[in-house]
Amino acid sequence: MEASNTRLWPFEVVSNEPIAHDIWRLVIASDMASEIEPGQFMNLQVPGDGSHILRIPLSFASSHGPSGTVELIYAVVGEGTRRLTMMEAGETSTLVGPSGHGWRLPTASGRSLLVAGGVGLPPVMAAARMLAEQGLGFDAIVGAQTADRHPEAQIDLLRGLPSNDLCDCARRVLVTTDDGTLGIRGFTTDAMAKLLEERSYAQVYTCGPNVMMAGVARLAREHGIDCQVSMERMMGCGFGACACCNVGMSQGGYALCCQDGPVFDAEEVAW
Amino acid sequence: MVSVNMAVNLGGIAMRNPLNTASGTYGNGWQFEGFYDVGTTMGAITCKGVAAEPWDGNPAPRLAELSGSAIMNSVGLQNPGVASFVEQYGGYLQGLRDKGCQVICQVAGHSIDKYVRATELYEELAPFASGFEINISCPNIAAGGAAMGATPAAAAEVMRAVRPLTKRPVIVKMAPHDVAEIGRALEDAGADALSLINTIPGMSIDVRTRKSRLSRPTAGVSGPAIHAIAVRMVWECAKAVSIPLCGIGGVSSAEDAAEMILAGATAVSLGTVNMYDPACAPRILADLEQWVESQGVSDINDLIGAFEC
Repeated sequence: MEASNTRLWPFEVVSNEPIAHDIWRLVIASDMASEIEPGQFMNLQVPGDGSHILRIPLSFASSHGPSGTVELIYAVVGEGTRRLTMMEAGETSTLVGPSGHGWRLPTASGRSLLVAGGVGLPPVMAAARMLAEQGLGFDAIVGAQTADRHPEAQIDLLRGLPSNDLCDCARRVLVTTDDGTLGIRGFTTDAMAKLLEERSYAQVYTCGPNVMMAGVARLAREHGIDCQVSMERMMGCGFGACACCNVGMSQGGYALCCQDGPVFDAEEVAW
Repeated sequence: MVSVNMAVNLGGIAMRNPLNTASGTYGNGWQFEGFYDVGTTMGAITCKGVAAEPWDGNPAPRLAELSGSAIMNSVGLQNPGVASFVEQYGGYLQGLRDKGCQVICQVAGHSIDKYVRATELYEELAPFASGFEINISCPNIAAGGAAMGATPAAAAEVMRAVRPLTKRPVIVKMAPHDVAEIGRALEDAGADALSLINTIPGMSIDVRTRKSRLSRPTAGVSGPAIHAIAVRMVWECAKAVSIPLCGIGGVSSAEDAAEMILAGATAVSLGTVNMYDPACAPRILADLEQWVESQGVSDINDLIGAFEC
């Protein structure tokens, strides 16, 4: 049993705007900003509708302790996120966080590979910042169904994040779309297979649809690379109280996505 | 300054106030320490149901949100077994006792023998337990669970098997049907108190795939939407038995808790609300004290069953 660091915090919307088709960028002001770590998540309450009672679990792309702001990127996938798009600057609510266990730094030296699919981008952005702050090199693959679902400014950010790692002089950031309307036509795993032929990696970080992460994990295993995955589940509480967000473990039994994850070692997960 | 007596006695479990927690919505308490001091706030907590041996619980998805202030779950009592539960959480739970919060340990089982074995293990290993809640009403397990509490005879059989094993208070967690008849049978079989209601079996179908939105065809509905049903069942049960009741079902405010008390509940559990409003307990407690005072009484016990019809 570990002490719980998850608390209730007020937040205020600083900005909330679309950055791609059904993809929004939300910046909030909250004192939690200095406490949350890359790969952790929070549960936001969207005010104004008593018929949907659960909070919305969201991972974040960046946090800035000194200014007390957190940047979230979310996809409009249901009633809760649709209502979230209607929150305007100055509106207030509460969040529960920070929740779960986040990304770990690579244990081996060398370049990391980040693979994001669809709404899996925010925690991968947080991983990129974590690596950049440590001066560690990385390449990245960002996939989406179509060009209009790619938040291009975020991809530019991935390209431009500073690095003092000499081996990172030629960072590669590949974009894929299912229909070929932007970047490489195909899945992120197709792009990953190509990169693995050209470069070696010490660590893979991935977040996206389950089937994509299973493919990324399989490729990583075939190449003997440690792989961390950020899992997504329908969540009740978001802090270990209700046991609704179970993830099957390769050793048998279940872990809780909110409490034991959302970041797991890919080898722990029963794909 | 509010100065009313909030202390109640739930079948031998002396609670500093009527607030308890619905098993399965509150972890084992420690998850809420970041929201408020559990040990100095709650009258009692009811821990997650634990069986003699570990259970994996049901596959994902275990949760669906409904559009009418309700959720459905099919967790299926994932638990580590009594020995591991005590090893992991015993120290923390003893700490709650030391602060004056009662700790109710929930007993899960697939058969009479399994309920007996789990109770024996608790008796041997869990000195921190203020009492036990026998769960004969979980709708999400294939064997045991709700089937054990489906009829007065079956429910009483479990109670009679467990009764000689412990001198500590035994509460029975009831399913949402036939509460008067089954409640009477449980009282006759030696139950010290009853808690009701467990979740209401429901279904939620994804009409695109024609499959359940959860991993099982049926699952338990909970949340504010079921509150009125729960109040009615507490009232029906209270009229039928003389042992105290713990009211459970969609309580999300002091007003909801007060309704339970007026309907006949001695204690009130917070359930689904813990998932979306996890810091609510101190606020509900303060509001409940104000309500007692506003009713012109100095003791909350004067309001138990004070519904006027």
